[in-house]
Amino acid sequence: MSALRLEEVWFGYDDTPVLKGVSLEIAGGEAVALLGRNGVGKTTLTKLVVALLQPRSGVVRAGGRITEGKAPEDVARLVAYVFQHPDQQLFARTVWSEVAFGPQQQGLSQDETRGIVGDALERVGLEAFAEVHPYDLPAAQRKLVTLAAAMAQRPRVLVLDEPTQGLDRAGVDRVADIIGGLTEDDVAVLAVTHDLAFVAEALERAIVLEDGRVAYDGASRELVLDEHKARALGLEVPPAAALSAALGLAGRPVRVREVMDALRGERGTGNGER
Amino acid sequence: MIVGYVPGRSPLHQAHPFTGLVLAGTVVVLAFALPVPQGPAALAVALAALALLAGLPRVLLTALGFSLPFWFFLGVIHGVIGDAPLRALTVGAQITAMLIAFLLVLATVHPARLADALLERGVPFSLAYLLSATLQAVPRLRRQAADIVDAQRCRGLRVQGSVWRRVRAIVPLAIPLVLGALAEVDERAMALDARGAAAPAHRTPLEPPPDSISQRTVRWLLAAAAAVVIVWRIAG
Amino acid sequence: MSVRLEGVSFRYPGSETDALHEVSVALRPGEVTLATGRLGAGCSTLLLVIAGLAPHLTNGTRGGEVTTIDRDPATRDGRKVLAGRVGLLLPTPWTQLSGMSFTVEEEVAFGPANMGWRRPRIAETVERAMERFGVAHLAQRDPRTLSGGELQRVMFAGVLAMEPEVLLLDEPALELDPAGAASMYEMLPSLAEGRTVVLASTDLDRAAAAAHRALLLDRGSLVADGPAAEVLGSDGAVATGCSTTIAEITRAVGLTPGYPLTVAEAVQRMRR
Repeated sequence: MSALRLEEVWFGYDDTPVLKGVSLEIAGGEAVALLGRNGVGKTTLTKLVVALLQPRSGVVRAGGRITEGKAPEDVARLVAYVFQHPDQQLFARTVWSEVAFGPQQQGLSQDETRGIVGDALERVGLEAFAEVHPYDLPAAQRKLVTLAAAMAQRPRVLVLDEPTQGLDRAGVDRVADIIGGLTEDDVAVLAVTHDLAFVAEALERAIVLEDGRVAYDGASRELVLDEHKARALGLEVPPAAALSAALGLAGRPVRVREVMDALRGERGTGNGER
Repeated sequence: MIVGYVPGRSPLHQAHPFTGLVLAGTVVVLAFALPVPQGPAALAVALAALALLAGLPRVLLTALGFSLPFWFFLGVIHGVIGDAPLRALTVGAQITAMLIAFLLVLATVHPARLADALLERGVPFSLAYLLSATLQAVPRLRRQAADIVDAQRCRGLRVQGSVWRRVRAIVPLAIPLVLGALAEVDERAMALDARGAAAPAHRTPLEPPPDSISQRTVRWLLAAAAAVVIVWRIAG
Repeated sequence: MSVRLEGVSFRYPGSETDALHEVSVALRPGEVTLATGRLGAGCSTLLLVIAGLAPHLTNGTRGGEVTTIDRDPATRDGRKVLAGRVGLLLPTPWTQLSGMSFTVEEEVAFGPANMGWRRPRIAETVERAMERFGVAHLAQRDPRTLSGGELQRVMFAGVLAMEPEVLLLDEPALELDPAGAASMYEMLPSLAEGRTVVLASTDLDRAAAAAHRALLLDRGSLVADGPAAEVLGSDGAVATGCSTTIAEITRAVGLTPGYPLTVAEAVQRMRR
């Protein structure tokens, strides 16, 4: 049973259709990027996934359950959404209570909650800040708090909206690690993002929306290596992949570390220039 | 639900911004000074008619929608405690009249025209801006509130159902809204300053608000009516 | 020199450390200067100090001397004289909305109107600015209905419509999609004609190509100041993650400093 499935989903605002028959299927343990130009319907699609919107026609199945007739709070146990701007969600006095909100709404016991919150904070690296007021943390760490809070809902599907925006290199690496950990736990991760470099590093599959439909659904590495196709879909090839393609590196690596390894391999031991 | 400016060409829209403000002020005075309960009731009805004539039925409906909880509580209070249904009717009518007037003003007074009108009268820019930007803040806050509700519902917050549940939902909804609004204030102040909001020059009105003798007459008449009613009530 | 800082330090109220520490730099028109560093290095603060908004609106204490177009921008006299001549663009478009406009045209005209310019002049500068940023077709739209990217371009037009001599940009492409960000950065060198442009950005893969000059900040101190290729291609910059991905890759595989910043440069070096 797939973690997330859309079957011929149509949706529009007023009379303008935005999604015109979108179908896709994501299994638990997959890390998927949702791409496309601004205004193409990425946010609309994610809102359908969490039941903030209902499709005009077609079916949305999140965590195995059909979203029709359900409200977001009903599916919070199955799908969690990390919004782009963390300040939209932060309200608690401590990081701990912020992360505990989800489990509490699910009616879990104090013991269970404690375990879940502790685990989530460890995964995002904020255990030391459990008693800190979220607004005393810098913006990048506030983002991680909302990520931990969503993880604490223990969903089958985790939707992330621009997870790397505003983060520096270290922050992006951490998010990539967290996603890796989640997929190991069989969670399906769907990330709306413009950051193609991040896609190459952490999200193995890419779904691109264009004109209300799925224009590409396949391996993200294939997409980032194809400059022509990427451009046509309003995307830009990230530098590491572009270098790999320009030099025709063996194995066609796209990740930064893989490109480095391939280059070292080609240059011998890599000491000094040729 | 319409809260905020609605572009249009009704007489209210074309009126000078001050006319709208004086109208709202007059309504407040009349609502409390007119003999009860007929006065406020008649006022509410007159304003409803004004809203319809101005081609703003949705604004009227919004105002009525906002007044419903008040009517409900008034009914409860007077059903349980009181023996004065007329009192409930009076207060309800006063609230309804004021809500209609405020929403009408919000819907028909363009914040920039108001600011320009104030500037022409020599009001310092910061004050003029404060007033007009407040008018536009409401729809924006509403949108932000809606976003926050969405975000918290996705975490499992239940917002429908019992009153108790809704009360418990207030904190996770209000705090991000307030904090967000406050954080924005700083940034907006910087952006505005950089765009010359505090510049010493006399701001050029982009579309000078049209004022006329008839407008001024209307304003004076409204103010006079309010004054007359006050005096009449005091004199017994 | 249109912008000069001499030994400038700045500390926000309630903070225990300087956000800027003993920074001295002189900037001139005709150049795009990139201010970059790790998060929190002080690049945004630098822009605010140049604009005088720090300490005027942020409060806090400032040491050293700041001269922006011949005046200290934080003094009363300086603010009066500089009004409208130092443009500032912040990362998020919605918080910059004037709150006084219902069409894009009105929004772009907000700044010029505040300058007290006559209506024909306002109309002309607004039209030119909207054309430049490709938002003329949105002129009658309500700004609140625009997407983040469209709105940011409108705000940029609004800043430029005031014809500022100094242009300060803080992560201007943050809310734009890749195509939008690329075209915004591509436009920057042309904006520097006759103008001093300072860009604070950590998006080095895009910003590096747009900059003539770079300032590298580390926890408030200026650690490097020179031509962009030199500063960003230096070992110090690349080792601390303050350069392009290509520079990082080439350093890791053993090239010598003066690292290439772009794919094209890297290919050239590799093929030698």
